[in-house]
Amino acid sequence: MSTFTPGLVHAPITPFNQDRKIDYAKFEQVIEFHIKHGAQSLAITMHPGESVSLTDLEQRAQFDFVLKQVNGRIPVLAHVSDSGTSIAVARAKYAEAVGAEAIICTTPYYWTPPAAMISEHFSQVANAVKLPFFLFYTPDEMGGIKLSTDQVLKLVEQLGNFSGLIDASLDWQFMINIISNVWRTKPDFQLLAGNEYMVSSGAIGATSMISSLSSIAPNLVKELYTICRTERYSEARKAQEDMAALMFLLKKYGFASLKSALVAMGRDCGIPRPPQNQLTQTEHAALAKELMALSFMNNEPKGW
Amino acid sequence: MPLILKGVMQSPVTPLKDDFSPDLPTFEKLLDFHVRTGATAISWPHHKGESLNLTIPERKAFAEVAVKTVAGRVPVSVHVSALSVEDSIELAQHAQKIGADAIIAITPYFWSPSQDAIYEYYVRLSKSMDLPIIAYNSPSYLEGIEFTGELITRLLENVPSLVAMKEASFDSAKFLEISRAALKVRPDFSIVAGVEFLAPSVPLGCVGSYSSAGGICPNLCSQLFDACTRGDSVKARELQFKLAQLWDLFRDQYPSSLKGGMVIMGRPVGPTRPPLPTATKERQAFIAKKLEELGILDTEPHGW
Repeated sequence: MSTFTPGLVHAPITPFNQDRKIDYAKFEQVIEFHIKHGAQSLAITMHPGESVSLTDLEQRAQFDFVLKQVNGRIPVLAHVSDSGTSIAVARAKYAEAVGAEAIICTTPYYWTPPAAMISEHFSQVANAVKLPFFLFYTPDEMGGIKLSTDQVLKLVEQLGNFSGLIDASLDWQFMINIISNVWRTKPDFQLLAGNEYMVSSGAIGATSMISSLSSIAPNLVKELYTICRTERYSEARKAQEDMAALMFLLKKYGFASLKSALVAMGRDCGIPRPPQNQLTQTEHAALAKELMALSFMNNEPKGW
Repeated sequence: MPLILKGVMQSPVTPLKDDFSPDLPTFEKLLDFHVRTGATAISWPHHKGESLNLTIPERKAFAEVAVKTVAGRVPVSVHVSALSVEDSIELAQHAQKIGADAIIAITPYFWSPSQDAIYEYYVRLSKSMDLPIIAYNSPSYLEGIEFTGELITRLLENVPSLVAMKEASFDSAKFLEISRAALKVRPDFSIVAGVEFLAPSVPLGCVGSYSSAGGICPNLCSQLFDACTRGDSVKARELQFKLAQLWDLFRDQYPSSLKGGMVIMGRPVGPTRPPLPTATKERQAFIAKKLEELGILDTEPHGW
């Protein structure tokens, strides 16, 4: 099994033109921005990057583009989730062929298959590649589909390349049950915080973190992650609270707030693709005002 | 006595005789055991104490024994939540009459109350008596009914006697939502974790926990809290993993497995009232084996 450690993983957004096509000139700037501002790895493309609104060809084209742009400077993890197992499998194989460092996959979209079929989905995707496989667990986003501890432990046993769990469930008992059991037989198995709640996850064993808010506040993300990696969790409280303030603010305005906040930070990447709405002018102005009122945002880069 | 909530607080189980009638002499022994083994406060009857399976007169009788037996050595709070809010009010007034130090109350059962209804409930409780109130947030057992940051802000602005919350969502996002809202209005507001989830919550400002396993392994609980407060993250994680195994053991058929475990520890507290099962001999043997594997039998007090 690989000992690849993703570390602080930035999850970029996807910039769109006015005609809703991927804006590759901007995307280049986005990728360079993340590398310049502390990304130890990149995850292409997670839900905040609107993976679900991209066609299969577009997702593959993103892998190509990012891998070429990064040119080996940092590892690139490929997010390959889809509804159909065979579609996710094909995308995983493609990612491997073009040089991704690892595969990320969550439960199938829309369907609510029995547990055995969900395990089958993960097995087929993981078995399709030799790359490290990271299971992304995000039940709140995925219609409440839950994984049991036993189910995940069995997959760890069966899949030699199953390298880590990316947790966005925030379920402490679940995380502990997985990591404490797996570490007995696979001490290099990793727990990754699937969002920026790193203090609690780190305290119970997470060593990496995937951050979409690195687009907005990369310095705060880095500070939070760095303190947590020295295991001084109480000292990370301030950074965690600031992070939570930013997360709550964006949550209040909905999904489109991420791109709206980017505009406010001087990094206009367009608006989300439908069916996501963009914020109204009034909402955008209110969000921008609240964003700038967060004192820690003064330390964050404006522009590229 | 002044209500200071900190450290490992114990919520005893409710001892019953073989015919399921209240066993008050054993309750006295159990209270003494908890105080002697380091409980920083006593709170009874949480759900672990089978609160909803006791009649209101029974709850009053036990509460009187609790206050009398603890006799001011540590603060005693009475959990007043009952199916009928009218009963809760009566239990709260009774708690004050017998000299308890505080009451604790969960959001009302069954009706899926609105945020306004929850607000009115705590206002009414606070007007019905003079004791400090500890709110209790437990969305996973109450179909998602929970405190929002807005609700806690509104309550703290209007209910001076609301001093603390038992926060049992076990979710970093919810914890931060509540703590950020509460501490802004009331910097000395105390947030207490449910069960022993201390490693993920103490760094975020959690003051202690209402213990689940304290009747079995009070030493382990205290060691975990100490490791968390002195910032020994490695030790805290190790102990938290152990307690997580115990929580899995006990949350299955809670609290009957806990009562079954107490037989093994030489502190029998009788059966569990239906509809909850009583731990069978086989279940007890299974628990005994687990406790032995975890080293609990060698490191924790046996007998009263």
